[in-house]
Amino acid sequence: MNVSQEDARKSLSTVQDVIVQTHRAIASAYANPLLILWGVLCIIAFTVAHFYLAHAFYIFMVMNVVGGIGTAVICWVFHSKAPIQDASCPRIGWRIALLWILLYVYVTMWLFLLAPFNGLQCNAFISTAAMFAFVVIGLWFGSYFMVLLGLAVTVATLVGFYLLTDYYCLWMALTCGGATLGTGLYIRLRWR
Amino acid sequence: MAQLDNIIHQPVRLQIMSSLVSLDKNEQVNFTYLRKLLKLTDGNLGAHLTKLEEAGYIRIKKTFVARKPRTFIKATGKGRDAFAEHTAALKEIIRTEKERTK
Repeated sequence: MNVSQEDARKSLSTVQDVIVQTHRAIASAYANPLLILWGVLCIIAFTVAHFYLAHAFYIFMVMNVVGGIGTAVICWVFHSKAPIQDASCPRIGWRIALLWILLYVYVTMWLFLLAPFNGLQCNAFISTAAMFAFVVIGLWFGSYFMVLLGLAVTVATLVGFYLLTDYYCLWMALTCGGATLGTGLYIRLRWR
Repeated sequence: MAQLDNIIHQPVRLQIMSSLVSLDKNEQVNFTYLRKLLKLTDGNLGAHLTKLEEAGYIRIKKTFVARKPRTFIKATGKGRDAFAEHTAALKEIIRTEKERTK
């Protein structure tokens, strides 16, 4: 078979384009509904917490329960329409769900053990604990996006906690919620 | 020296294999999703999949998800090896031509 340099270059370019399209199509099918859900929840919860900081514990516990149920519903709905099936997915999915349930129980327990604390400390503790789980899951499954998102939100939390104390919740609504929602919308609008 | 693969070199089959090998070994792709991604008709995609299946490069599995029939396709180990060799051969052509023109 005779293939010119130009044809070879075109073929390799096609290969690269299809690989990128495939990865983007998978991300837009799975990631964007979850990112949009958690982005919206974060913006609402942090904004409400700004005005009712004393009730931050209950606000974020409710947010986590609503987010957990929403995530389970999205995963259930998308499973039947999934463009990609992974033989190991159901087993891993249950383990990840169990990890989040355990983290929720342990964080609640730690908060009771560490009390008394103010709303700001409670908020920063829950945020960084959730991001720790993001980083660990990301490292475990080789998802650099999850690792980067986890580290970025952790840094944003620390910056808000130490440098922008009066506007901490609004800062978090903007950085944590805004960035998550923005990423979800970007994937939805640009990667289809 | 890596060899070009006649079956994979056809443009549509090259796209199909590119999409399949970009997934993990455990993953399989839905027929409808692949058709939309590559902007092909049912018949066109089906014909190319048959060729690849006959060569042992892909595995086609028909199943039911939520009581609806679904067809899933995955690259086999042989298909992944053939694709890797084909792309290596393409890279060699570019490299050889570059060295010749120097």
